[in-house]
Amino acid sequence: MTAPVGLVATLTDEQEMLVDASVRFMEAELPVAAIRAAADGSPRDDAGYRAAAAELGWFGFLGAEAAGGGSVSGNGVVDAAVIAAELGARLQPGPYAGHSVVVDALTRTGGPAHEPVLADLVSGAAWATWAFGDDTACVLGASRDSVRLDGHVALAAEVGSCSHVLLGASGPEGFTQVLVPLDAPGVTVRPLESLDVSRRWGAVDLDGVTLPADAIVGVPGAATAAQLLRQVLLAAVLAAADAVGAMHADFETALQYAKDRIAFGRPIGSFQALKHVIADVSLSVEMAKGIVAEAARALGEDAADAAELAHAAKSFVGEHSVDVMHQCFQVFGGIGFTWEHDQHLYLRRMSADAAMFGAPGWHREQLVATAEAVR
Amino acid sequence: MSAMSPISPISPISPTTGMSVDEFRAAARAWMEANLPRRAEGDTETRKPWDIKDVPPAEFAAQRALQKRMYESGFAGITWPAEYGGQGLSAEHQRAFDEVAIEFRQPDLGTLGGTTFHVCAPTMLAHGSPEFLSVHVPRILAGEELVAQFFSDPDAGSDLAGVRTQAVRDGERWILNGSKIWSSGAYNADIGMCLARTNWDVPKHRGLTWFAVPVRARGVTMERIRQINGNEEFCQEFFDDVELTDADVIGTVNDGWTVTQTMLLFERGGGGMRPATRTVGMKPDVVALMDEVGGWDDLAARDAAARVHVDDLVRAALGTRIVAAMRTDPMRAASYASYGKLASGMFDPLRANHMMRIAGNAAIAWGAADASGPDSAGAAAALALLNSRFMAIAGGTVQMQRNTIGEKVLGLPREPSFDSGKPFRDVVRDAAHWSGKVS
Repeated sequence: MTAPVGLVATLTDEQEMLVDASVRFMEAELPVAAIRAAADGSPRDDAGYRAAAAELGWFGFLGAEAAGGGSVSGNGVVDAAVIAAELGARLQPGPYAGHSVVVDALTRTGGPAHEPVLADLVSGAAWATWAFGDDTACVLGASRDSVRLDGHVALAAEVGSCSHVLLGASGPEGFTQVLVPLDAPGVTVRPLESLDVSRRWGAVDLDGVTLPADAIVGVPGAATAAQLLRQVLLAAVLAAADAVGAMHADFETALQYAKDRIAFGRPIGSFQALKHVIADVSLSVEMAKGIVAEAARALGEDAADAAELAHAAKSFVGEHSVDVMHQCFQVFGGIGFTWEHDQHLYLRRMSADAAMFGAPGWHREQLVATAEAVR
Repeated sequence: MSAMSPISPISPISPTTGMSVDEFRAAARAWMEANLPRRAEGDTETRKPWDIKDVPPAEFAAQRALQKRMYESGFAGITWPAEYGGQGLSAEHQRAFDEVAIEFRQPDLGTLGGTTFHVCAPTMLAHGSPEFLSVHVPRILAGEELVAQFFSDPDAGSDLAGVRTQAVRDGERWILNGSKIWSSGAYNADIGMCLARTNWDVPKHRGLTWFAVPVRARGVTMERIRQINGNEEFCQEFFDDVELTDADVIGTVNDGWTVTQTMLLFERGGGGMRPATRTVGMKPDVVALMDEVGGWDDLAARDAAARVHVDDLVRAALGTRIVAAMRTDPMRAASYASYGKLASGMFDPLRANHMMRIAGNAAIAWGAADASGPDSAGAAAALALLNSRFMAIAGGTVQMQRNTIGEKVLGLPREPSFDSGKPFRDVVRDAAHWSGKVS
């Protein structure tokens, strides 16, 4: 078993057991060779993987115990972030951040009609994701008994492997969220080619999709807008945690290479020209772990600084992960340009993590808008 | 007291001896209520080492007197050994004191206070002989003997083991010659903790010895250095045949590098690094600058302000992480401290650059008396730029931190060394006609 990422400096005993079992599971079930095979088109056994992962507790940290969920440390966001980091480090498939957001949203604001879906999401019977971004545009028409959706989701990770997508749409009562079954008439999921090959990406078209009114999640308007902020923060923390895992793994691989590769009669990591680059990279990795751990802790505690820490985490990690990748690539030299080397898998994963659920610049604008408003 | 008792400069029984943590906390509060001004609401100011302004001599004397009262009342050197005048109390007593202390303005001896109590004295306690400690530590605690760092030579900074200031044995005496530089606040100091070469015929790390040099000894000349930020906080000292004795030696002769490693740990904050207390929201200096220049309406300024805010938050989070790592792995605490130092060295200049971009012309020139005067946010951004490379250079450059991290934390091999295996005398000679050949 390779060492865990160490996102959180000190874990509880229960968290350590969770991480240990989860890492063993990932490495046995989907080692990098299997990830590569899937990228080349081999079928994946999502159902078996999901069910086993659910046994470990992955999908329930943000769910109520009554629905089969529960955190292991008392802070479900930290638990989920710790798992997200291990997933990123091992290039695991699945829509973990989006799925966790949907579990959290349904737990907090879902109605009786959503309970069976929530149970499936926690038990690993299905995956769901949340569509969020500039390219997601949906219009909702509502009558007493039904809602009608038109629009599209430009891209979402693993949406083709999901049973449901949570969508935001402008409606007659303001901003509204709807849980859309992806097998509903009028829904088309289109697979996309993507930079990230460890997860499958897709787009969704909604053409006159009509659903019962109880597909709406929560109360439209101000309450849903507030819930939206919670979702943004949670998705930001978990996507950043995934990227931190990828940073960690990329860095550890580069560090080992710097010790093993001989040039000019000595290990290349002895040259200060590379040693200093590697030290800077390790600082970036430490800072990224530090801010994501703090952001997860604060969000799980509903602390006053939860929002600014989550925005900072997504912004910092989004930019520094890609910087780290470039520096590691340079340490690898030409071997990093080969498909056989894992470097490009991390490059792809981190770049996608940086863009999803709000790019760094978008999160910075949220920070500065808050500062402007409260000054 | 029997006639045989040695004469001690201090009262043998401290007023706080034997107190429980709760008793000590209550006594500390009572003492601070009676003797120290309370901090104003929101006054969480922690000064940076380059922010030090000259304290007028009369006020400095008053602060020394306050330190002495604090000591006599049993609140100085809380965890230091009682036989050297400390209180001999536990770390919990110290924490109880610290919790109360944040509400009050503590005795302020400038940078020299930090140097004395957090770098030099702890190093002395780790390595000084009982005789040395029983002479100096009580005076230090009483504010009567403040200690400056006589560390860097003009010719050796990051390469601290390459100092050429030397002490030569002469019968019972040591004769000190050379020069020290970057000694912060030394003009207020009573002694300097001085690293000198005592053997030139062994490799550089094995011929060093630490001395306590009285600042007013014959042969010591001190000059203050005019800095780019307008202060004259740093000093340079010149030693011309300064006479010292074995009683002035700190630690073992020629084993000064061991002492140095302890000192560097304390200097980098490894001894008592605590996570900074943080308030929610963008830092006031950024908000003030954005207000002053109308930056809220400028997309580039907005992004720069947000980047500063992000980096400030991340650096605080890094501090929390480092402190936790030090606690779980104390053997490598000094190496982890290098992360904090490297982060400051890299992000202070970045922050200054962002602030300059926001400020534009407001950081280039400002009026004397109007709203855009020397107290303006633009002028503050300009000053911050001048100060921004402090942590990238002082106490070991970022390049030194990168070597420490690369070698001690990440396990990368060292560069071949040209100076660690041969007598330092030969190192200096060979460097003068450097051929680049590995011999």
